[in-house]
Amino acid sequence: MATDGGVGERIRWSLGSVWRRLLDHPLPWLVPTLLALAVFQFYPMIQAVWMSFTDESLVRPTVDFVGLQQYVRLATDPVFWEMLEVTAIYAFSSVVLHVLAGLVLALAIDYGVRRGLRGHLTTRVSVLLAWIVPGIIIGLVWKVMLVESRFGAVNHLLGTLGVGPVPFRSDPTFALVSTIVAGTWRGTAFSMIMIYGGLQRVPRRLYEAARVDGAGRLARFRHVTLPQIKSVVFITTVLVTIYALNTFDLIFALTGGGPGRATQVLALFMYQEAFQDYALGRGAAIAVVMLVANLLLTGAYLYAFDVSEEI
Amino acid sequence: MTDDRAHTDGGTATEDETTGRPVATSGRLRGLVGAARSPLALDLGVYATYAVAIGFFVFPVLWVASASLRPPGELFSYPFRLLPAEVSLSAYRRVFRAGMVTWLFNSILVTVIGVASIVVVSVPAAYAFSRFEFRGRRGLLGIVLLFQMISPVIIIVPLYTVMSTLGLLRTRVGLVLLYVGIQTPFSIWLLKGYFDTVPMELDYAARIDGCNRLQTLRHVLLRPVAPGIAVVAIFNTVLTWSEFVLAFTVLGSESALHTISIGVYKFQGQYGNDWRAIAAASIVGMLPLVIVFLGLQRYFVKGLIEGSLKGE
Repeated sequence: MATDGGVGERIRWSLGSVWRRLLDHPLPWLVPTLLALAVFQFYPMIQAVWMSFTDESLVRPTVDFVGLQQYVRLATDPVFWEMLEVTAIYAFSSVVLHVLAGLVLALAIDYGVRRGLRGHLTTRVSVLLAWIVPGIIIGLVWKVMLVESRFGAVNHLLGTLGVGPVPFRSDPTFALVSTIVAGTWRGTAFSMIMIYGGLQRVPRRLYEAARVDGAGRLARFRHVTLPQIKSVVFITTVLVTIYALNTFDLIFALTGGGPGRATQVLALFMYQEAFQDYALGRGAAIAVVMLVANLLLTGAYLYAFDVSEEI
Repeated sequence: MTDDRAHTDGGTATEDETTGRPVATSGRLRGLVGAARSPLALDLGVYATYAVAIGFFVFPVLWVASASLRPPGELFSYPFRLLPAEVSLSAYRRVFRAGMVTWLFNSILVTVIGVASIVVVSVPAAYAFSRFEFRGRRGLLGIVLLFQMISPVIIIVPLYTVMSTLGLLRTRVGLVLLYVGIQTPFSIWLLKGYFDTVPMELDYAARIDGCNRLQTLRHVLLRPVAPGIAVVAIFNTVLTWSEFVLAFTVLGSESALHTISIGVYKFQGQYGNDWRAIAAASIVGMLPLVIVFLGLQRYFVKGLIEGSLKGE
């Protein structure tokens, strides 16, 4: 009995030691993550690049390597350049509006908190509320807001000013403006919070020093606040650009890319090529174009961190 | 937006004018930077900014809520009013008859299991990145960051074939696994930051007491990183609940599997111009998140900031 117990003990001890040795290696801790990333991120990314060199289609069984043909086709397709233009307008306006509105709101809330003004929390919660609404539903909310008869909420308000009714979703220009406004409704929260976070990290003593030197409010804003939040504003701009370039759900629900192709951004164009026209290869080529844009922006984002670390 | 800038300028001007005047300063505010003098114009400008912001961001939600509660026909009656003259739940009845209970159930299922899986996968990974020194650690972290930056929309085409090969199309399990793959990078980065703030001395002490690394994580480190886990859980709840394009692609056309975003989208396709019903569907789709959010909004703020500033 006594020896049995000893053997059992020894086996348990050596199992424990193997277990312990295993846990002292990083790999077991990382295996689930590595598997998930390999299957659902890394492989698809490589596959997207590969597919863009083929004519893969959901309706044909054979796949042929076609080299750069998909890209040549894209580059010579006026529709692609139209999409690119729509995407660029959407992304650029979104970024300007998000960052500007976010900056103004962050400053207003920061000021309100320091001065003990009422309403800064309500403002913050209101802005964030818009951000948590699912993208598809944001599209529908704005669809309801922008009903094109005089009974639509916005058209009614405009009507009391003697304007409209405005064809918010059926006129190409207004449709694009509508998507940009709806996008700003959602995205401002992110810029606001990021820049607000940046404001909290500005050392108080810099303001004290500037006051001692006789700097007024505007001078303090220009010479203390702005240089201090410059890098966070830049990082925010890059991230917002990436989100804007990849926008899908909101536009999908609000206009579906229409009227015609007036609001068809790259993501929607890609989706349509791949899943409505079943041309996976062509869709993948558009995806690679988007991927390159994302990678360039990620590079800019990393560069911003290097710069801010040096400071 | 430029309005506020103008007020800032105006504020500086009034500040000089008011310097000589006795200004009511409460004791609470004395000593706070910028509070010694009270530039009234700047205060008013900030209040105006608040009012415009609250109006712009809340009005659409209120309007949709109001539209959803109207009896048939009243939405298009004249004169226009924000509050319905008479409350009717007929639009909600229509939405629930179309399958809203199923969509809600699927969304809750996918969100709860998805978020739990994401936490279970990303906590050990974040621990490893924080506590081990190994070759390729920086490179691997860089790749994780890269995956976080790249939108799943971009890889949706090959993802479709991957899911099809694995037999995961039209399954909720497949969608959950996909969310784990897509959303862990962000969670790992955020959690690693929390682990990094916990002093290594705690690990050493646990080690001396005979704990292996798993026991150390469970009994010693989990408590200090709990706020980080909360942020990750809440943030992923919002992402998972709202996600559309992956679910739409993976779950296909079978209505019994649809999550709320897909259900609501299909519903509006079917009932084209029934604005009351679309409004009701939107309200049901956002309400669970709005409730969670109003209770826990502080954590969202932390998640937004900490998830995006990896350089810190």
